Amino acid sequence: MVQHSFDRSCPDVSVVAPLYNESANVVPLVESIFGALAGRALELEVLLVDDSSSDDTWERIHAVAAPARVRGIRLAHNVGQTAALMAGFDHARGAVVLSLDGDLQNDPRDIPAILEKLEQGYDLVCGWRQRRQDGLLLRRLPSWCANRLIGWLTGVRVTDNGCSLKAYRRELLDRLTLYSDQHRFIPALAASLGARVAELPVRHHARRFGKSKYGPSRMVKVLVDLITLKMITTFRARPFVGFCVVALLPLGLGLCFGVAWVAALTGFGGAKASVLVLASAALLWAGAAFYMGMLGLVAEVALHGEREATPDTPSVQELA
Amino acid sequence: MATHSAFAPRATSRRSSEDTAGEIVSLIIPVVRRADDLIVLHDAFAAAVSTVTAHYEFLFVFDGGFGPPPEALVARSRRDRRIRVLRLAYAFGETAALRAGIAASRGNVVMTIPPYFQVQPQGVAQLLDAVHNGADVAVARRCPRRDGWLNRLQSYVFHTLIRSVSGGFHDMGCGVRAMRRDIGESLRLYGDMHRFIPLLAFREGYRVAEIPLPQHAADARPRVYKPGIYVRRLLDIMTLFFLAKFTEKPLRFFGLLGSTLFAPGALITLVLLVQRLEGVGIADRPVLLLGVLLLALGVQLVGIGLVGEMIVYLKAPHRRSYRVRETT
Repeated sequence: MVQHSFDRSCPDVSVVAPLYNESANVVPLVESIFGALAGRALELEVLLVDDSSSDDTWERIHAVAAPARVRGIRLAHNVGQTAALMAGFDHARGAVVLSLDGDLQNDPRDIPAILEKLEQGYDLVCGWRQRRQDGLLLRRLPSWCANRLIGWLTGVRVTDNGCSLKAYRRELLDRLTLYSDQHRFIPALAASLGARVAELPVRHHARRFGKSKYGPSRMVKVLVDLITLKMITTFRARPFVGFCVVALLPLGLGLCFGVAWVAALTGFGGAKASVLVLASAALLWAGAAFYMGMLGLVAEVALHGEREATPDTPSVQELA
Repeated sequence: MATHSAFAPRATSRRSSEDTAGEIVSLIIPVVRRADDLIVLHDAFAAAVSTVTAHYEFLFVFDGGFGPPPEALVARSRRDRRIRVLRLAYAFGETAALRAGIAASRGNVVMTIPPYFQVQPQGVAQLLDAVHNGADVAVARRCPRRDGWLNRLQSYVFHTLIRSVSGGFHDMGCGVRAMRRDIGESLRLYGDMHRFIPLLAFREGYRVAEIPLPQHAADARPRVYKPGIYVRRLLDIMTLFFLAKFTEKPLRFFGLLGSTLFAPGALITLVLLVQRLEGVGIADRPVLLLGVLLLALGVQLVGIGLVGEMIVYLKAPHRRSYRVRETT
């Protein structure tokens, strides 16, 4: 991985903003970012990632682009927020990288405070939207449930996982690969890599231009993705153990039915018919547990075949 | 001798490609099964392409299963350096032949042509024009078609199914395509994927132009395949659908499928359990078998989804789903 930190030609801070059909927000966004950091001795670059918008977002970006200060990246096809963010991270050169929404709902005036928090020795600082300006039933309530679930499953208790305003150290981003819809789980994923994570209250505004791209269909997806999240944060280096944990439930059920079966056989009440039912139930669940364990071995084979660096490959510094 | 300049070393050909007219076109002809007289084919397409550029090469790629390349063609390639004949060591199939051809080509534009007349050769010029004018990939569509109703019906069903996945292409069966060479190299071609090159390119975010070219009279013969071929095409479409939607999130697919099986299974067994507690015997009820089967299938599918997620996670550091079109 390239170390950017000490290279003077690189900016101190990169701000990454993914945009999808946000043409009216481009200019105000760039102005407010530079306005918020005016007067500070910081080398700043702003990366605007156009996720293949169908409106004139790219033309607006092109108009405000300035060498080294404001850079535009136009993606070939619409890939969604996670991949657009990843495109920005891959192109950012700063020792610290900030991400924020392209819709002006985050307030760039919070950036100095976030940077300050990062300086206190954290690798990731997450914004925590105060007085969130979104609908209660379709946005805030599901989001509250999801945050609690994530905290409970992964042990990384961040109040607001969904806030896009975040600051990362370059060393963390070099190890963090986001795909699918993982932008919702960044704190948990970062913490699983050993990152120190903090959160900070930030402002939140209602949308001024454009419209939201979120719909209710994502709730089921988030639930499924949570299972994956647990799998890859806790068990990615030992999938067999993970699958055995999953197998515990069917195994327990199988044992219960097995005990009942033996009890029925030895004549603690129960007709001959229930012996058959109990036996098949016990065998079914024992079979499911066995099957899960075998799949865990398949996952171990996949892991073993991976010769390239995985996130668990340590990066080592020799101090003296 | 402008005819020979196409075979200067690669560095030179790169330089010449910076001139406006100095690009090289590689015409790749994978010969796998059916083939017309390749000498006649070469004559026709050479005449057509030379109206556009003098810098071209023909690559005939013979699959190992085809048998030895015709002697006349080999003899011609010895006389004319703009003809190259490659042969794959074994029967690898058309996709592999195309990949080998693209890898061996020296041009900066590659064009694939089937080893039989599908479209009028003059159409070559239109495809190359489209690539010059900004299309990343230009594919031919046989139009007007001279095929009978049977071919049209097959083609219609096939493309309607594919359109449910993505794209909006009308003639994937047409093997006449032109593209920038780097795009040809970047497409992940394996299995039977050569058939879906327009769709694969489109899904990678490349600009794909569909150019109507009149169908060649010789191509309009009724095509009836063995049943296995139809099954394979259907499986190909299912693969594409899965890859398009769930490459990065297998658990969403297997988990959803698994839980739609698991839920009725759980419901059935619950109802049976309640009935049993009320004193109704359930051992001789076939519906018990159904419930048990659904439960088992559901668990298995979710497990497979989890393995899939593991594999995706392991591959993620080396993979990006975005492609940058331009930067400022």
